[in-house]
Amino acid sequence: MRSLPFALFTRLIPVALVVLAIQRTVCATYRVDGVAVQVVLALAAGAGAGAGSERGAFAGFALGMMYDLAVGTPLGLTALAYGLAGLTSGYVLSITPDPQWWLAAIFVAIGSAVGEAAIPVVKFLTGQEGWLTDRLILEIPVVTAAATLLSPLFVPLGRWCAGARRRTWRAIPE
Amino acid sequence: MLSSLSRRRVVVLLILTSLLLITLDRRGNNAFIDKARQAFAVVMRPFDVAADAVSKPIANAWYGITHYDDLKAENEALHDQVENQKGAEVEAQTAITKYYELLKLYRLTSVHNYKSVIAQVVGEAPSNFQNTVEITVGTRDGIAVGMPVTDGAGLIGKVTKVYPDRSVVMLIIDPQFTVQAQVLSRVDSEDASSTTASTPPNTAISGRPLDSTTSTSTTTTTAPVSSTTTTTAAAAGATTGQTTTSSSSTTTSTLPDVIVRRETGDIGGQGADRPLLFSLIDDTALTNVKVGDTVETAGGTKSLAPQAIPIGTITAVNPRLGSRSPDVEVEPNASLTQLNFVAVVLFVPNQAAI
Repeated sequence: MRSLPFALFTRLIPVALVVLAIQRTVCATYRVDGVAVQVVLALAAGAGAGAGSERGAFAGFALGMMYDLAVGTPLGLTALAYGLAGLTSGYVLSITPDPQWWLAAIFVAIGSAVGEAAIPVVKFLTGQEGWLTDRLILEIPVVTAAATLLSPLFVPLGRWCAGARRRTWRAIPE
Repeated sequence: MLSSLSRRRVVVLLILTSLLLITLDRRGNNAFIDKARQAFAVVMRPFDVAADAVSKPIANAWYGITHYDDLKAENEALHDQVENQKGAEVEAQTAITKYYELLKLYRLTSVHNYKSVIAQVVGEAPSNFQNTVEITVGTRDGIAVGMPVTDGAGLIGKVTKVYPDRSVVMLIIDPQFTVQAQVLSRVDSEDASSTTASTPPNTAISGRPLDSTTSTSTTTTTAPVSSTTTTTAAAAGATTGQTTTSSSSTTTSTLPDVIVRRETGDIGGQGADRPLLFSLIDDTALTNVKVGDTVETAGGTKSLAPQAIPIGTITAVNPRLGSRSPDVEVEPNASLTQLNFVAVVLFVPNQAAI
């Protein structure tokens, strides 16, 4: 297993630049019913489901920081939300060390829903009102569904970016 | 070391670090953060260009195949619309010329006194909680934070971040956007007469143009304009075999009243897919605004934009509990989902307005 800072610099940042470019061009332009699919959030949640809560939280935080730098949102806002997403989805490894793909997908969905919902909440807490509206009822399911569909790709990619290895069951020696 | 922290410590560390960064960024003392953003934008540029170059042709081809009939129908409809508007354009041009003359006469300022810089919209906000677009001009072109941005139809937003060769524009639908606005509403003659019964009517000689519209404040009304028309009708009966006669007559008629009331207030966004909300400054006053009235920027020293940039049209006037002034919903003139070329008005607003 690679150390986390090493993995963040050598793996996560290059991958994040590509995913962020896709987010800023493809996802920002081609929306689903006016909602932008959040691939960076899906990667943060995937990192959590693949590498565990702690590594997922740091990977999500780093991805969110890059997102804030690129998009112009207050620095730390998306980082906090995506960090929570990675942390939440990482709970899947508390249930089983080697989750089935569908179980990981469920936790990626939960993590991405938490991350997407956390943004308007943090905005509200920092004085930017007007985002906690009924439109969230549409936005969160769309973002969650997209993250779930992307989870078979993003869970292994996120695990690799966070410098973790897939855990396997081992027989206890007699 | 980082990954060996307990889950609870990770959460606390993340929250504290984020709150510290948000506070630093929002306090405004962020020269370091701005430099970091600019450097990151330089790093991101090749990735953005590559992603755009790969995705756009595929998306365009797909859109062309799947929406061919719609595009054809839309093209024909637009051709018809252009034809219909050619007549109206001549009329509008005359009105604009008169408007310029009046502005010059009274030494008033409006949006037409300011130069503008044309820019292209190159990107939308990738987040669902941000209503911004990115445009292709920046500090090198004289752009500064706070400048209003328009398209052919009206105000679309204001510049919120400026870099050397690009800027970020907050759209008017963003909940954080507010600008001083005014509604110029025509008042029915019955309403006007009820408030001006004691004022003697003015008289005017026939031939005087009816564009002597008087703008008043919320609480002031203008007397209705009546006119005594003196007409000399030289009726030439030119039909063959009839005797040609001529006559002179004097008629008195009352011209229709043209009274406009000006209501000022603040207009702001409520997020995507929602109309703008216009709030009157004096929310205890009765208002005459009605559906169909147009809203434009109010101007003034503390305003974000010069006067007379169109914003939108009132679509609903809903009574509000506990207040005499209603909730006024406004549909923006500009189509904010289909922005391409925009103009940044080189109007530097008062710092307090930004």
